[in-house]
Amino acid sequence: MKAVCWMGKEKMQVHDVPDPKILNPRDAIVRITSTCICGSDLHLYDGFIPTMEQGDILGHEFMGDVVEIGPGVNKEKLKIGDRVVVPFTIACGNCQPCKEQLWSCCDNSNPNAWIAEKMMGYSPSGLFGYTHMLGGYSGGQAQYARVPYADVGPIKIPEGIPDEKVVFLSDIFPTGYMGAENCNIRPGDTVAVWGCGPVAQFAIRSCFMLGAGRVIAIDRVRERLELAQAAGAETLNFDQVDILDALHEMTGNRGPDACMDVVGMEASGHGALYAYDRAKQVARIQTDRPIVLRQAIMACKKGGTISIPGVYGGFVDKIPLGAYMNKAITMKTGQTHMMRYMGPLLERVQRGEIDPSFVISHKLPLDKAPEGYRIFRDKQDRCIKIVLKPWEQPLAA
Amino acid sequence: MQRSSASSERGSSQLPFGPKTLVIGAAALIAYGLTRRSKTGTALAAAGGLLAYKAIQVRSTEAKTHAVFLVNASPEQAYRLWRDFKGLSRFMVHLKSVREIDTRRSEWVALGPGQREIRWTAEITEDTANQRIAWRSLPNSDVHTKGSVNFRPDPLGRGTFVSVNVEYGVPGGPVTSGLAALFGTKPEFVVREDVRRFKQLLESGEVPTTRCQTHGPRGIHGHTERVLFREKTNLPDPQAAPAYRKSA
Ligand SMILES: NC(=O)c1ccc[n+]([C@@H]2O[C@H](COP(=O)([O-])OP(=O)(O)OC[C@H]3O[C@@H](n4cnc5c(N)ncnc54)[C@H](O)[C@@H]3O)[C@@H](O)[C@H]2O)c1
Ligand SMILES: [Zn+2]
Ligand SMILES: [Zn+2]
Repeated sequence: MKAVCWMGKEKMQVHDVPDPKILNPRDAIVRITSTCICGSDLHLYDGFIPTMEQGDILGHEFMGDVVEIGPGVNKEKLKIGDRVVVPFTIACGNCQPCKEQLWSCCDNSNPNAWIAEKMMGYSPSGLFGYTHMLGGYSGGQAQYARVPYADVGPIKIPEGIPDEKVVFLSDIFPTGYMGAENCNIRPGDTVAVWGCGPVAQFAIRSCFMLGAGRVIAIDRVRERLELAQAAGAETLNFDQVDILDALHEMTGNRGPDACMDVVGMEASGHGALYAYDRAKQVARIQTDRPIVLRQAIMACKKGGTISIPGVYGGFVDKIPLGAYMNKAITMKTGQTHMMRYMGPLLERVQRGEIDPSFVISHKLPLDKAPEGYRIFRDKQDRCIKIVLKPWEQPLAA
Repeated sequence: MQRSSASSERGSSQLPFGPKTLVIGAAALIAYGLTRRSKTGTALAAAGGLLAYKAIQVRSTEAKTHAVFLVNASPEQAYRLWRDFKGLSRFMVHLKSVREIDTRRSEWVALGPGQREIRWTAEITEDTANQRIAWRSLPNSDVHTKGSVNFRPDPLGRGTFVSVNVEYGVPGGPVTSGLAALFGTKPEFVVREDVRRFKQLLESGEVPTTRCQTHGPRGIHGHTERVLFREKTNLPDPQAAPAYRKSA
């Protein structure tokens, strides 16, 4: 089959590789009909998260048809022929975190838990196509994928709904939603959202679903700011204004009730502190650039909440912990506990409350993935979200 | 003074996974990590540093290991899974097989590099249903070992504490290299990972693995990363069908 492989920093290549096989009793094989490139993949593209290995298959946002199941899969939950969306977190369904619905913290799904324990104390769940520290599982930017514990994660999709409307249940819709839920929104609250990428677009809409009165969205990419406005958000361009000043002004010296960091470890910025972070990251002394997190802590109102769906990989520096402590701020974060949200959000799609396909700017055949990574990273060609089609032939140029 | 230096010297010359090997391994990791121009490098270097630190701790000719996991199961379920000795190789990845000779004795076979077999006969010294199993190797074994596992229900009903203590003695001579084969890395790590796999098997019915999965071309870079970092030693075989075993 064809698969997008990580061959090194900024080196994504499509290779012919063997088809995946059932390895464990609870595995299934899915024939992939749609798969996406995520902002999280960009951290791998840029080489910022350790323990990738040359030859790893990327991708964690995919859906398709079940073509094979292992002998241990609960047949009442999943059978051959089912059309499913696969969540990016891999969870066993039986451990204590799974029982508590903390699916992205599953105890049992990471075969390399010991590596993660060195960096984090305890290991989160395994993920598809996202470093060996987090499982080393081959991912879903491919024609087929092996899905472990297949009777836990994948959600069945009835016929009649196109892929485009449901494929984002694999990550970014639930991630945006959980980001908003973690904001502790009370009716009428003001939420500041850093980033207007695909995840943030869902976060902004979810804030309104959960009763926010105002959403202030921050980015510098025009088409992304426009898409945020279309959802009813006010917008700020961090190239043009000082974000702290602007939020101060807009909230009358109170600060937003909640602040959401939907940017993560590769935030862009200005000034001395940005240069400092960038230099440390390049010199490998620091893994992440916590520019947005710093701003969020400073901007947040007293007693407010900070929600961090943006991904961080390792260690950061110069976090204003004093402000965090003295202002009595609550911070919530985590990889998304996918299985909590997929069902309810599918129902919202079915009821027509939201059509998630609004974020799609590009549909490309899988072979074009390397180019897709580049334009997505560099925000060229008005790129917002790319869906890859594994079985489509590229047009002869 | 005299005595302690003698004993530590004996320790380091006899211990196959001893400080020297570990320090060399650690140094390699650090060096490799630091020369790599990537984030992986940083992590490798950090892992190397940890190994080096641990190496200093392994000093005697005996290895005492301990591991504990709170599992989501009853003491009965945990005891039953462990007491089925012939199934131990499902979570002790270095074991090839365990054959029960009679109710007390069993023959254990572990696999070293080049498929070399390391054998020992163990006898059960204690067996209290749902609470505790203890065993030790009999004379004429390739490895001297004794161990125990305790199953203690959490008083607050949060599951069962499974705590394992295993000691390995090194009889000396050529056998030491056998032990080295068994513990490419340090014994504490091996035992801890075995107990972790026991928990995974007990709770979810299988042990997660990526061994034999499909992937793209590894190249020299990818192969080095795999060998240096983990995949060779710590990943169990797939468990779905025997046909897939050891296939890739
Ligand atoms: N928690 C989870 O489970 C989860 C799941 C998926 C994605 N994520 C993370 O969410 C984040 C966003 O993902 P995405 O797909 O939308 O990525 P993306 O890269 O497309 O979007 C990031 C956006 O942030 C903007 N940005 C950069 N610096 C900024 C700054 N200083 N202030 C404001 N905006 C800034 C960029 O212009 C870009 O539009 C990533 O870190 C990704 O890894 C987390
Ligand atoms: Zn994603
Ligand atoms: Zn679990």
